[in-house]
Amino acid sequence: MLEALPPSRRRVSIVAACSFAAVVVCALGGLAVGPLSISWTSILGNVASHVGIGHSHLTSLQVLIVWQLRAPRVVLALLAGAMLSVAGGTYQGVFRNPLADPYLLGVAAGAGLGATIAIVNLGNGFSTPTWTPALAFAGALLAVLLTWVIGGRGMRSNSSTLILAGVAVASLFTAFQTYLQQSNTSATITRVYLWLLGSLASASWHQVLVVLPYVVVCCIVCVASGRALDVLSVGDVESRSLGLPVSRVRLIVVLASSLGTAAVVSVVGLIGFVGIIIPHIVRLLVGTSYRRILPISLFFGAAFLVIADAVARTVVSPSELPIGVVTALVGAPVFVLVLNLRRSRVIWPQ
Amino acid sequence: MAAISIRNLSVCIGDAVLIDDVTLDIAAGSWCTVIGPNGAGKTTLVESAAGIRTPTQGFIFIDDEDLGSMNERQRAKRIALVPQHPTVPAGMTVREYVGLGRTAHHGILRAMSARDRSLVEDVLARLDLSHFALRDVASLSGGERQRMVLARALAQSTMTIVLDEPISGLDLRHQIDFLELLRREVDDCGLTVLSTLHDLTLAGQFADRLVLLSDGKLVCEGPSHDVIRSPELAASYAMTLRVVDIDGADVVVPVRNLSMETLKDQSQSFDGVPQTLSPRLY
Repeated sequence: MLEALPPSRRRVSIVAACSFAAVVVCALGGLAVGPLSISWTSILGNVASHVGIGHSHLTSLQVLIVWQLRAPRVVLALLAGAMLSVAGGTYQGVFRNPLADPYLLGVAAGAGLGATIAIVNLGNGFSTPTWTPALAFAGALLAVLLTWVIGGRGMRSNSSTLILAGVAVASLFTAFQTYLQQSNTSATITRVYLWLLGSLASASWHQVLVVLPYVVVCCIVCVASGRALDVLSVGDVESRSLGLPVSRVRLIVVLASSLGTAAVVSVVGLIGFVGIIIPHIVRLLVGTSYRRILPISLFFGAAFLVIADAVARTVVSPSELPIGVVTALVGAPVFVLVLNLRRSRVIWPQ
Repeated sequence: MAAISIRNLSVCIGDAVLIDDVTLDIAAGSWCTVIGPNGAGKTTLVESAAGIRTPTQGFIFIDDEDLGSMNERQRAKRIALVPQHPTVPAGMTVREYVGLGRTAHHGILRAMSARDRSLVEDVLARLDLSHFALRDVASLSGGERQRMVLARALAQSTMTIVLDEPISGLDLRHQIDFLELLRREVDDCGLTVLSTLHDLTLAGQFADRLVLLSDGKLVCEGPSHDVIRSPELAASYAMTLRVVDIDGADVVVPVRNLSMETLKDQSQSFDGVPQTLSPRLY
């Protein structure tokens, strides 16, 4: 009967505390790691000096590197990781589908098409590469809107109809995107590919400020919907009989997840794997309740993407790996490890 | 007073008429069971009464209030459902599952109040589930699982509950245990029950009234004893049924489709029951 017991409160508290600690440690690590090595104690000293405690030992160049180059990158990674993980967990709950990720309803395909239109400079100056985030955002939202309309506005239809509509829309947008991409020069194709694999290389405080409101609002809505997603785990019909306004809940959480994801991918590109793997790892640790999965995924996802970005910019320094490659390379073994440890009850054997 | 009033209810999907102009009253504190052959419209009728299926025509009133004008939350406070094939979300504990019944009361943004929690504990104790409270719902046996689903419905604290084939897949002992449990809720707590059952004998023994449906139409309705012994019952199933009285309980026995003469002969030499019984043949 050991397996039939749910995770204890103590375990959930420990995992939650670890997830928060991971964010702090990874953020500090992210600031410290780079071609120019800066110790995390000096960074902490610099932070302390800003609030009037002690003196900073960093040179002005180091301060510039830490706060203007690395910090926006770390913060953007935290925001993107948190949003993608929470959106992935929310999608898995609302569609009761373990394979769901934030790109399920066509966000990735839509953003990909939008970004490609900008990068290939379609319309000769009408859309330029500087328009990439705006067009990616518009494309992502257009794709989700189309999926929602084709899928019967998610109201009367069941969630499978919506998922199938998402598949159709994603295929359509990908077809357009591939056509545009292949009819250009190899240099343009490379740029499109790099965008598709995601990168935090051009992170700036401006980007952080653009993404921040979307991520904060959408994460709050998704995390607050945890209780509704738990009810939804018994299916649409039973949830309705228990008093859950299923259609409204689905509309709100799909809107929040898609909007947040669209905002994030428009800036950092299509970072894969985070949205699907983090909620699953958290589920293995704290059980199936979305009230626990979503907030803990938020922290773990944020920490995970900072680690992935640190790896992406250091292993082949001075050049960089696409972060999407790292998330898969790091994420898959971690997932397998957690799965095996859980099976062999090395982690919290009740 | 009628707890459930069904007025001229029709349910159609395309050209198919699933329920055809059914009018029915179910008294408060009574148990009404819908019987009928497969495809008669039993599930459609109870799903409509539970508000999870929208009628094509007609109205359903719960305590004189139109079900169609209620939102999900208001409805869940008036009527609870035990579906035929409940979804069992693996990983959830029995206590959490039963707690889902309180959703309409505390809302989706608030946690359960102390009152909600004590009501859940009370239902768990009443249905002898307290020692399972921390078990994973997926680890329960069929009988325990069905009791848990009933517990979730009772946790909704409604005065009316709808059950669709609640004992399908259970062994004989668990079927009786489950129905006794439900009967106790009706007798002790004044619960109104609308259910469907395939087993005519159990339907007749446990329900106060039976409703016979055939091809979506209400064929016969009345006290269980009368409906079980009505000629319409065998006609609806298009077969020969024999009803015998065992210690005051009607037992419906299906017989092979033999000629009437053969059946009469067999009824003379019916030695499976005590001599005092008078098997009736329709």
